[in-house]
Amino acid sequence: MQIEQVQEHAGEAAAEGFNAGAVIIEHVANSPIDHPLIHLPTIAGIDLSVTKHVFMLWVVAALVFAAVTIAVRRYLRQDRLVPSGFMNALEAVVEFIRDNVVRPSVGDTWAPTWMPLVMTFFVFILTANAIGLIPVFEVLGLLDHWVLHAGEESFFARLLHGGSTATSNFNVTAALAVVTFFAIIVAGSKAHGAVQHWKNLVPHGVSPFLAVALIPIEILGMLVRPFALTMRLAANMTGGHIAILAILSFVFIFAEMAGSYVGIGVGAAFSVPLAVAITALEIIVVLVQAYVFTLLTAVFIGMAIHAHH
Amino acid sequence: MNPLVQPDPGLFIWTILTFLVLVGLLARFAWRPLMEALDRRQATIARSLEDAQRAQRELERLQRESTQMMANARAEAETIVSRSRSDAEALREELKQKARAEAAAIVKNAERQIQLETSRAVQQIRQEAVDLSVAIASKILRRQVSKEDNEGLIEETLKQVEARRHV
Repeated sequence: MQIEQVQEHAGEAAAEGFNAGAVIIEHVANSPIDHPLIHLPTIAGIDLSVTKHVFMLWVVAALVFAAVTIAVRRYLRQDRLVPSGFMNALEAVVEFIRDNVVRPSVGDTWAPTWMPLVMTFFVFILTANAIGLIPVFEVLGLLDHWVLHAGEESFFARLLHGGSTATSNFNVTAALAVVTFFAIIVAGSKAHGAVQHWKNLVPHGVSPFLAVALIPIEILGMLVRPFALTMRLAANMTGGHIAILAILSFVFIFAEMAGSYVGIGVGAAFSVPLAVAITALEIIVVLVQAYVFTLLTAVFIGMAIHAHH
Repeated sequence: MNPLVQPDPGLFIWTILTFLVLVGLLARFAWRPLMEALDRRQATIARSLEDAQRAQRELERLQRESTQMMANARAEAETIVSRSRSDAEALREELKQKARAEAAAIVKNAERQIQLETSRAVQQIRQEAVDLSVAIASKILRRQVSKEDNEGLIEETLKQVEARRHV
């Protein structure tokens, strides 16, 4: 899938030899913070410059907002609520999330409160995951290499650096998991009151000694949940991409070792078919990981609401 | 450090900000209106189904009623027809009876009339006979008559009677 840019880099790297590791990292990791797309001031020691992944988040957010809002508005403007086109799919997703994820987890009473958050998690993560599968920037890179020749310091050239899957960056997934973390606390506090929510950490009726022992375990559990969410999503999104890039790297490794024709032969016979297969698998992973993150968020929120005490 | 595990607090904060803004916007402009619309539509569908069911029940009831009505009407019509038939029969019988009675009355009347006429005629003949006898007697008394005379007298008297009869 990212064959075009891999080829481009292979061309560039031909002089000093093809470094598969560097190429793969370049295509998965964020663009370097010291070479951001837009320089922004450092506030309280935090560099807020817009890197590739921040940019991708905005693209995803804008895309999701536009697509969903336009579809919903158009749908609601009708006299009779008959969905059509994209709205059919969106409505199916919304009803699936509502009836199979949110309602069973948080209950009918709290479902309307938490539906917007959970729905947004799903569409945002799904879109961010899926955009990473579309080699937009690789095509643009090819265009730049052959036609545009934008300067190395231009915005366009800087846009080409770094991976395009924001959800493969654990900073992004950690931030999303932190939203879940606080959503759990807010859900518990709203359902039981701020004090009772924290008391719910320890099961009711446990002897005081055991309760004292349980407190650190429960707090650990509280922190492990978002950590697991963070790592699961980021690792899954990174892993598939690395696998595809590694397989495509064989083309250039063999080209370097035995000549271009052997490289192209390996690509045609082995790398491209396998990369296509893994990309197909990735489509499933993209869906499943968005679903898992969403489902677990709903389940954790539900656990805080239906704490047994 | 490997760029894959490079902590990036800026990206972390941007993610939270972007995501929360998206949640807010989508909740306001898409999710809540959509959820309300879906609930509304669900209610509409439930109501429509209920209405349809009610209409179906109503239709069945009306059908039953109309069948009942048809049966009643048919039975009534039959009753009416049979009653009118028997009425007609009765009327005809009555008329026949009356006609027979009338005819009998006419016959009886005629008979009485005949009887009356007959008795009057007998009365008249009797009167005539008396008159004739008286006339014969007076003639005998007035003169002695020969056999020929006698015959002539009787002849004459009979002629007289005959003539009076024809008067």
